[in-house]
Amino acid sequence: MGKMTLVATVSLACLLCTATIALAADPGTEDPNNWPQYNRTTNAWRYSPLDQVNKENVSKLSVAWIAHGGDITMGIQETPLAIDGVIYSITSGDRVAALDGKTGRELWSYEPKLDPLVKKVLFAPYSRGVAVGHGMVFIGTVDGRGIALDQKTGKQMWETHLTDFANCHGCNFTSPPVIAGDVLTFGSTAGELATQGKIFGVDAKTGKKLWEFNTIKDDPHSWPGESGKYGGGGAWMPGTYDADTDTVFYGTGNPGKDFINSERAGDNLYTDSIVALDPKTGQLKWYRQEIKQDVWDYDSPYEVMLFKKDDKNLIVHMNKSGYVFVLDKNDGKIENIWPISDVKNFVKDIDKRTGELIGRVELPMNQETLICPSTFGGRSWNSGAYNPKSGLWYNNVLDFCGYLKPVAQKDDPKDYGTGHTGSNDFGRLVLAPDGRKPGRLDARDPFTGERKWTYEMDVPGFASALTTGGGLVFNGDPLGMLRAFDADTGKVLWSFNTGSGMRSGIISYAVDGEQYILVPSGWGSYAALLLPPLFPQLEKVPAASTLIAFKLAK
Amino acid sequence: MTRGFVMVAVVVILIGDVAFSEENIPNLKDPTMIAAGHDLFLGKQCAHCHGADGRGGINLTRRVLDPKGVFQSIADGREKSGLRMPAWRGVLSDDEIWQATAYVLSISQQSK
Repeated sequence: MGKMTLVATVSLACLLCTATIALAADPGTEDPNNWPQYNRTTNAWRYSPLDQVNKENVSKLSVAWIAHGGDITMGIQETPLAIDGVIYSITSGDRVAALDGKTGRELWSYEPKLDPLVKKVLFAPYSRGVAVGHGMVFIGTVDGRGIALDQKTGKQMWETHLTDFANCHGCNFTSPPVIAGDVLTFGSTAGELATQGKIFGVDAKTGKKLWEFNTIKDDPHSWPGESGKYGGGGAWMPGTYDADTDTVFYGTGNPGKDFINSERAGDNLYTDSIVALDPKTGQLKWYRQEIKQDVWDYDSPYEVMLFKKDDKNLIVHMNKSGYVFVLDKNDGKIENIWPISDVKNFVKDIDKRTGELIGRVELPMNQETLICPSTFGGRSWNSGAYNPKSGLWYNNVLDFCGYLKPVAQKDDPKDYGTGHTGSNDFGRLVLAPDGRKPGRLDARDPFTGERKWTYEMDVPGFASALTTGGGLVFNGDPLGMLRAFDADTGKVLWSFNTGSGMRSGIISYAVDGEQYILVPSGWGSYAALLLPPLFPQLEKVPAASTLIAFKLAK
Repeated sequence: MTRGFVMVAVVVILIGDVAFSEENIPNLKDPTMIAAGHDLFLGKQCAHCHGADGRGGINLTRRVLDPKGVFQSIADGREKSGLRMPAWRGVLSDDEIWQATAYVLSISQQSK
């Protein structure tokens, strides 16, 4: 190597070092020690590159600390964040806390005074996470506000009322906002509510509302007559911000009334879709509807994963139907569609080029119709995890069905506790007709759906998975068992009884050279209310709201 | 109209309005009340968690329940063992909450 080449190489290396350090200062970058946003990185992979805990030593994991999260109502559903050795956590009632990542000691906490109406609405009082950036911790509240806290002290910096909480059937926020540069985007609940779901853009520094995007398109062809007035939609899980194209991607919720489509005989845009928005203006760049005129409650608010493959920029995204859409990131063009399970009868098939649903099963009024998958979906809202080393995407598959029975229902956005569903319930749950196990953890190629391994369960998983650079997959089940799998083979390498079921997101982070696995444990949510008839084992699962951190025993 | 007549009329209206207040338990075994309560039970989607026949995830048929406790749970909501039921006071009238109470008691252990 010549002298000049050496100098140039060193200079380039230093430049890269500088760039890496600069990037690592902000959440959403690739600092392996941190878990800085809901799905860890902007590609939404839920992959931690940390490899101190690996296949050879995972059996030596032991408890480092345990912290009580707070109120146990509806369990603990969050994915906590870990930034520079501090854990940021949100639990029931929108209680936020910062904890020392080495000890679990609480550094500060914050609990907003919530609107008393929260006690009447359908979706409360749980939250699935916080966002951290600009020296602040941001939350969306269950009474429809955006709130910013000082990252170091927990002191409230600003609050903004975003949803018309009392007049929108209690539409609110149960997930964190997305940080898109200087803008925060908040997606509201709306499926099952007599309202029109919105995505809001807010100035991160001041809290000023910049724009709102209506997930119900103002178009009589899409929504004949008055049918769009209470069309639902919304975006109740976090989106993905792509800095390369300055785009925020959201998956949207289902149309209402859920099980009656006779009054909304259009395609019902932009429900059950991916929408690509300009975060500065809220302008729609493109959309891809995955379930047209949904009548089975197959929302699409799940994680929007980003990939580069064969010089293509791709999105991989699943909706509740269990169909996975592989799309061109730039325009939403379909590259492939594959099913996560063959337990499905709501359509005969799907056109893998156009996405057209073939052979739809409609729901006659006042009669039960068996629909697979159930309203819980082929997978619940909890994210999967993709490991770039194995090339596999790990998901908790739900292989059970439900009988749906539409009944007439009045529109009433003040009837807070009643879902705008056109039914008396969310469906009578039953096992799959072929009698197979009702759940499994699947490892599949995210682009083709080819399955590498599967782990069957008597009670399906309802937690977000974690995969790591140590070649591991961590997954928790509703009965409380946390398991570590070999990411390549599916072999169970370690397990631990956390004492309550998991409905949350497992993360990994490192402080002072030690890797931690952090597991929120505390069974709750609507799953805890609705599943026991099908899974009687769940009746005796104790509630909790606990954060359990593991590390290797010394 | 005399002042006395107005007073009587007001009292009659008030009594009519609060005939089934929270403190004034109506006849909960009245089949009409139970039937109206069943309609509310279905229409307000109590079946989500309790099942169409009360044998859902939160099974009411195994429980020993008392009228005021059921009324209060429906009116003010319930948070126990990590589970949550929304509050219905203000959405349902006291009369309607008593009707729903009558139905719940009709399928609970106490009435058998």
